[in-house]
Amino acid sequence: MNAHVTPSSCRPSTRGRARHAALLALLACLALIVAACSSNSSTQPSALSQSAASTAPPSLTLYTSVTQNTVDSVVAGFKSVHPGASVTVFRATTGAINARLAADERTGGVRADVIWGTDPLSMQAYAAQGLLRDKPIASPTGIPTQYETNALYPTRLLYVVIVARKGLTPLPVSWSDLTNPAYRGKVAIPDPAAAGSALAALGYFATAPGYGMSYFQQLKSNGAVQVATVPEVVTDVAQGRYELGITLDSEVRTAAAAGSPVQIVWPTPGPIALYSPIAVTTATKRVAAADAFLDYVLSSDAQKRIAATGWQPVLPGIAGPPIPAGVVPVSADWPSLFGQQKALLQQYQALFGS
Amino acid sequence: MAGRTAVRAGAALVAAGLLAALAGAPLVELARIAAERGWRAAFDALGSAQNLGALRNTLIVGCAVTAVAVACGAAAALAVERRPLRERRLLRLAVAAPLLTPEFVLGFSWSRAYGPAGFTDRYLHVQLPGLLGPTGIIVALSAHALPLAYLVVAASLATRPVGQLERAAHASGAGTLTVLRTITLPLLRTPLLAAAALVFVTCVNSFAIPEVLGTPAGFSTMSTLVYDDLNLSADPDAFRQLAAVALTMAALVLVVIGAADVVLGGPQTAEAAGRVTSTPSAVARRSRTATWTPRVLVTAFALFAAAIPLVVLAADAITRAPGLSPAPSHWTLANFSAAMAGETVPALARSLALAAAAAVLIPAMSLAVVATGPRVRGPLGTAVTLAYAIPGSALAVGVLIAYGRWFVGSALIILIAYAGKLWALGHRPVAAAAARLDPALTRAARASGAGPLTAWRAATLPGLAPALAAGGALVLIFASHELTMSSILYGPGTQTLAVVVLNQQQLGQTGPTSALALVLGIPPLLAGLALAHGRRTAAAANATSRRPTTAAIPVTAGTA
Repeated sequence: MNAHVTPSSCRPSTRGRARHAALLALLACLALIVAACSSNSSTQPSALSQSAASTAPPSLTLYTSVTQNTVDSVVAGFKSVHPGASVTVFRATTGAINARLAADERTGGVRADVIWGTDPLSMQAYAAQGLLRDKPIASPTGIPTQYETNALYPTRLLYVVIVARKGLTPLPVSWSDLTNPAYRGKVAIPDPAAAGSALAALGYFATAPGYGMSYFQQLKSNGAVQVATVPEVVTDVAQGRYELGITLDSEVRTAAAAGSPVQIVWPTPGPIALYSPIAVTTATKRVAAADAFLDYVLSSDAQKRIAATGWQPVLPGIAGPPIPAGVVPVSADWPSLFGQQKALLQQYQALFGS
Repeated sequence: MAGRTAVRAGAALVAAGLLAALAGAPLVELARIAAERGWRAAFDALGSAQNLGALRNTLIVGCAVTAVAVACGAAAALAVERRPLRERRLLRLAVAAPLLTPEFVLGFSWSRAYGPAGFTDRYLHVQLPGLLGPTGIIVALSAHALPLAYLVVAASLATRPVGQLERAAHASGAGTLTVLRTITLPLLRTPLLAAAALVFVTCVNSFAIPEVLGTPAGFSTMSTLVYDDLNLSADPDAFRQLAAVALTMAALVLVVIGAADVVLGGPQTAEAAGRVTSTPSAVARRSRTATWTPRVLVTAFALFAAAIPLVVLAADAITRAPGLSPAPSHWTLANFSAAMAGETVPALARSLALAAAAAVLIPAMSLAVVATGPRVRGPLGTAVTLAYAIPGSALAVGVLIAYGRWFVGSALIILIAYAGKLWALGHRPVAAAAARLDPALTRAARASGAGPLTAWRAATLPGLAPALAAGGALVLIFASHELTMSSILYGPGTQTLAVVVLNQQQLGQTGPTSALALVLGIPPLLAGLALAHGRRTAAAANATSRRPTTAAIPVTAGTA
């Protein structure tokens, strides 16, 4: 087994130099790649220094679980109000944002300036960990005060409803109907450890008279299946994998508009209303930019964009998607649930975990 | 030769240091966090019903898949490797297709093709029973891992006189079963065990298939548990528990590898693969059954495991909305543009940059191992292979704890994980090529007055170059669609392509997910075709000159 080496390659002549050049090119290439990979970190110091100069356009990092098209529209609006602004968006499920924040804290601190969440329970948990700044901005007039806490400002209302496959008969009328044997094995529910609105729904049912955790027990024994996220529930129902599911009204409207065979059922006693809070982190070094973003999201311009992308805004006078007459949303007493998130999830996972 | 000793010592230092940094430190950090409250508390935390369930599920899946994949893979190798050269190459590629398909793409496309409300369910009213759950995970992972077993057995068939001995036994009047029992299986004992260990390790490492097919059934394995537990990891107790689970995963595979090593008698690697002593295809038996059975079975396997699911993906990718039939009136290209919006294009560029960086770094790292000289090379190579065995989820959590604070907001942390995990992929071809180099060449160069560096560059490097390129190519393929570690290590502005695809799938965006899954899945298949073609030309060149060949590079595993 001899490796053949041609005589020419033994001569340390031009070929050696050529190879040397190739090696140098390779190293340069690697340096470029490394620079490309770390571009994110290298932009941060310059962004940090911007907060000192108040005239510079705002620059911030936003962690959010809000639907992509809503975030895109609101960020675009922010940029048009603040020309030259830059917003680094980290959009993921509520669960993935929890994981991100936990990883951030273990590796040198939270890197978000603003967190815009889906549900009050997850956001309040961040506040309880001291991640969120108290009273960063003066609350704009008209924002419903019943939702405000020290750190959280409501940005929009979400309605948890039932999605049904077109043509399903009979349709469920109440939340309790999902435990009806007629729908055995046909109901999909979102994972409250991944989806904030599912966590809020869990909080509502756990404390609502006549439901409690036994509601989930009944769902489980009726063969309900847990999938990951709220939109995935709608997709699975559209594809016919399940006939019914617990999801958000806006997701069903979007899917139906695209042609998917799904419809909204507004169950009794009512769709579960929850508010989607926004807050500034205590770790931010770009206070002015973060505050400017909050101010913008609560302005009528951003609220109109929120309405246009399918959600109920919180500012009075801006119309959101229509709700049928006679439907009255229900809600949980969120502050009474603060601090119970972990216990609720554990009880739930004892039923729906593996 | 003081110069040579110094070079070898330096190389050994570099290689050992890299191993310690890329595999050792993450494991140590994992252990430190797991045992923050003492080992007793760590064991207690591990004993929760959820953790024990995941451990049990991992063992069940691992053992079942190992049994199925090794049995079928070996059978396929025995049948196919006896076919004439040209046919063998085609069949080999067909067998390898499900391994070349990224794990996520395989899991997702299977669920769309054969799952409830999938294509076969809607149009033929049949579905694969239990696809969403343990049965489905076992079947899909078996299809993904079968090519691994096939490759290991095929490589050993090329170096053992199995064919001749079997024919001798047949000629002496032994029946087929007797030949299998007394000749074939004893001869293949070592490769079968090696294949079993490799498949088992791949199963424990596997994340995407259990995540996609297991979640709807509430069936979690250790790797999906680590991923899900990250959602709750703000709680220090939950994080310690997660570290303990990850550490247990690593321990599990290291025990299995260690046991396999003992049974196999020392660190026996595929480095002998270059010694081709027989061509088993030369005198194949020519009965019609022997000709057609492998053809039909292998084609059916490739159709079922890869081709049909990929066609279904393509149909989903051009259908306007979930729940609509893929009729021409519902066709659209909007899913592709939607798929490419937002983070996707930067993520695609990032994945390619990371894969390219890993593909350059890893061969260089392998050179350092090879440069340590023949005696140290073996043990270091074994350590590199062991680093590959560490499950991606465990390694990623370890890397996050060990290096997270130094790589804030940078994708370089993902590169560190890739370098540790994928090192073995790039190392195997280089080590095999190095073992075949003739040391006399270097001596001749030195005797002619060349310095150590010149001698190395002139006599050693040219012999290693094809293997370095092959190793780099393998790393490039697997790094470009890596998911397990990226899904744990990504942050704001550092998503990889596979992470974007997983997130879209979890958001139920079937159309864009399918479109991106195609983007993710087609290039590795094309690369496989190209590699096979390259090997064919290499083999052709080999037939004319008497150069050593890298024909039996073991494609060791899928990691996405």
